[in-house]
Amino acid sequence: MNKITIKINGTPHDFELDRDLRPSDTLAYLLKEKMGFTGLKVACDEGACGACTVIMDGEAVLSCMTLAVEADGHDILTIEGLAQNDPVIESFAEQCEPGYGTAMQCGFCTPGFVMTAKAFLDENPNPTLDEVKEGLSGNLCRCGCYSAIAQAVLAAAKKIGAREGIE
Amino acid sequence: MRKGFKARTQHQYVGSYRPRIDGREKASGRAEFFDDIALKIRFPGLLYAKILRSPHPHARIKHCDVSKAKELPGVKAILTYEDPEIAPLKPTNFAWTPFFSISYDRMLWPTYKDRKILSDHVCWVGDEAGVVVAAESEDIADEALKLLDIEWDILPFVLDPIEALEPDAPVIHPEINPDGNKIPTSPYSESDAFINRGDAEKALDEADEVIVVTSHYHNAEHACLGTRGCLMNWQGDELTCWTSYYQADQTRMHITQMLDLPLDKVRVINPYIGGSFGRGNMGEQGFFIFMALLAKRTGRPVLHKYTRREDFHDTRTAVSYECKMGAKKEGKITACAFKSRGDSGAYVDHSMAAVDFVPKEFAEETLAHIPNLRMETAVAYTNKIPGGCMRGIGNNQVNLVFGMAIDALAEKLDMDPIELCIKNFSHEWGTLPDKSLQAVLNEGAKRIGWAKRHKPGAGPFYEGVKKRGLGFSFHNSWHAAWQELPRGHIQVSLKVNPDGTVILDAPTAETGPGSNSCIVFACAEALSFLGVSPEDIQWISKTDTQRGLKDQVQTDSGVSYCHAEMMPRAAAKVKEQILGLAAPQLKVQPDELDIKEGRIFVKSDPEQGLTVEELFWEGDLVPILVTVSETLPDEVTGTPFCATFVEVEVDTETGRIDVLRSVVIHDPGTVMYASGAEGQQIGGQAMAIGETLTEEIVYDQATGVPLSFNWIDYKIPTMLEFPDVEPVLMEEWKGAGEYGACGIGESVTTCGPAAMANAIHNAIGVRVTEMPFGPNKILKALDSQIQDKTEANLMKDSE
Repeated sequence: MNKITIKINGTPHDFELDRDLRPSDTLAYLLKEKMGFTGLKVACDEGACGACTVIMDGEAVLSCMTLAVEADGHDILTIEGLAQNDPVIESFAEQCEPGYGTAMQCGFCTPGFVMTAKAFLDENPNPTLDEVKEGLSGNLCRCGCYSAIAQAVLAAAKKIGAREGIE
Repeated sequence: MRKGFKARTQHQYVGSYRPRIDGREKASGRAEFFDDIALKIRFPGLLYAKILRSPHPHARIKHCDVSKAKELPGVKAILTYEDPEIAPLKPTNFAWTPFFSISYDRMLWPTYKDRKILSDHVCWVGDEAGVVVAAESEDIADEALKLLDIEWDILPFVLDPIEALEPDAPVIHPEINPDGNKIPTSPYSESDAFINRGDAEKALDEADEVIVVTSHYHNAEHACLGTRGCLMNWQGDELTCWTSYYQADQTRMHITQMLDLPLDKVRVINPYIGGSFGRGNMGEQGFFIFMALLAKRTGRPVLHKYTRREDFHDTRTAVSYECKMGAKKEGKITACAFKSRGDSGAYVDHSMAAVDFVPKEFAEETLAHIPNLRMETAVAYTNKIPGGCMRGIGNNQVNLVFGMAIDALAEKLDMDPIELCIKNFSHEWGTLPDKSLQAVLNEGAKRIGWAKRHKPGAGPFYEGVKKRGLGFSFHNSWHAAWQELPRGHIQVSLKVNPDGTVILDAPTAETGPGSNSCIVFACAEALSFLGVSPEDIQWISKTDTQRGLKDQVQTDSGVSYCHAEMMPRAAAKVKEQILGLAAPQLKVQPDELDIKEGRIFVKSDPEQGLTVEELFWEGDLVPILVTVSETLPDEVTGTPFCATFVEVEVDTETGRIDVLRSVVIHDPGTVMYASGAEGQQIGGQAMAIGETLTEEIVYDQATGVPLSFNWIDYKIPTMLEFPDVEPVLMEEWKGAGEYGACGIGESVTTCGPAAMANAIHNAIGVRVTEMPFGPNKILKALDSQIQDKTEANLMKDSE
């Protein structure tokens, strides 16, 4: 079998091994370098920082530690696949409450945090602060916006709950 | 809900709690960073460059045969130290400038030209060695490097800065100092004892109480998430450089000066940048030069991007200190003597600023009222990663020993260290007690619960084995007294469109600190007569030398101040132009008119008027365009202070330290953007806690090979280790100009290490002095304490 199919943000893409990608290519490389999903950031390329997080079949995965061929037959969600008014994106963007700062500074880690938070809140829609800290402890933010990121995740949980209530 | 700070003067947008202007772009992944642009799908024909990295701590390339590498399919060009483009290049350093654009002849440290571009001489494991390959892929380029046939002349090396100063140590840079590794005295000082006021030695002899404290600050690394890189592309005789370095104008200057090109032929673009914290030394990096030559030779765009490992490239200069302080019984400090030993690593870059330049400033801004002061230093080359700027230069290092010395002296005098500080420290333009320092320390003390602090080691145990302690440290705000004057003219332009929206060109590389939001809020504030809100203002996020305006460099946290001060001036010009256009329409003189909320009216008859929009849409629809290029106000306003208070918990069984709480207080003149400033105050603690407790570059002593150039071993704090941080902003001091603001980006980390060291001492009653304060150091300190006690008891018994 030289062909693999990966569904990316709802659209199936076919790849032929050796023509389109090498067996050693990571999912991060395929998505970013080959396909231009640039929302994804590669910061360490060795599974230490979480910046490259995407969602595979509903679970957050490090795309730098996942081979592209491992995604064969799976659903991948990148940050480009989220709606513009996604409650997690909105909560990260809007965070400015006194005492906590903003949820990003340079913003390089932010898409990774957003995707991790997205998968985390799917699993745990009503988390405590400690659960948020534990759930997002695989992502590094060197600017240190951890207080505001935690607040943004708690705010996103509320926002999701409120929107579901309306529906 | 926490309470926000209280502004001295309430503004509509300046000093507000609002989302970042780039929040949505960044949170949705749409903000374009260097990495998102430097892709083959955007630059067809892109080649990838890889540079040879030295496997030896000290060596010379005797001979290098590239023939096998050249034959590898996909290799497009190889440049070496012997090539005619490279060999004649001028020697240089990567510290031409502190922040303004500067030419080769006027570089800041002209006596330390210890770097060659693509050198055959390598001085640390990981140093860029004299061969670079351009190939169709990174893998091919890496493979080609393995095919190089290199004959190395392996030289003896030295890692320890004290050993490096010994007479028999191998000399690392004979071109700088043929006799040894001591870096010649700074061109800004007459001797290594660069401050010698009064007679410190005599005053120490005569003091009632004297303490001696030592400290060691290690090489912390910036660890920005975005790695360093550049992409070079020639079109005809014009070169374009995209880069994640953050000083476009200086990069252009550097390239043109090193390669003898006209300034108009080199264009430098900074997109969004994944962090900076002072990494690199401004806009000068060797890779710009050989990459420009490589792109020229291949005729194709070429990308050089550091891997995470390679991005361990320069650090906060490691400095050891000894500080002696003497005081009279009532707490008047009569003498301070600082002796430092710096470790510049393989190249000096900005390391002399860390031990000489900045401590001098500290002496002016904090120690001005100490009658007897001596500061001396010696800095050595070693075969390790170079030192340099990181959230300041040398401020953290001197503050560590200073903060601990105050704590120790206060203990000896049986005095509250806060009282001791207020009694003794102020800047040279002020008197004692300093209002800003008083306000900062008293507020911090109140918030952390300082009054309940117990004597060192005297607190209760928690969970059987844990002890808690409080500590603080303060520092003068970074460079506030300079008012950013050396930057010269500050340039911005404003374009007001017919529909009232605004395009703001205030160029600076967005590396994260939030100056872009400050500038937009200050712009909205200044244009409030037009009824403009921040949402109506588009700030141009890419810095591009071709747009014509000089960029403000993201160093010294000065950009918010520099650009914001230009906004009222630009707004006045906008107003003048609009009134000039409206006057003939209303058949009056311009000075008879005013504008409020977007409506132009005759002052003597406010009923008579028209809206700005009407003026535009009934006119030629040409936007109003103003450009400002002015210098900042020059007046002496002294400097404010900042402080960090922490509570730590020490596990006496495992040696682990947890920071439980942190209160960070700043007096920045005017708070330009409250959410942004508090974000910095909080975020700075992540870096401070990391470098104080867990981050460490470890070398294999036998080979000089660094072992922790990755984020598994170089441990950066995550959300789990992050304490509750309370940011406190106050407006006690004010600098020059409309806002008179000063930056806080450096000082948010400066006080952390000393505050933690003091809190640890308060918890366990023993001082740890060598950073990072890992469990090994804590357990060793506890062991020595037990030993001391046992010995003391034995002594007592024998009596």
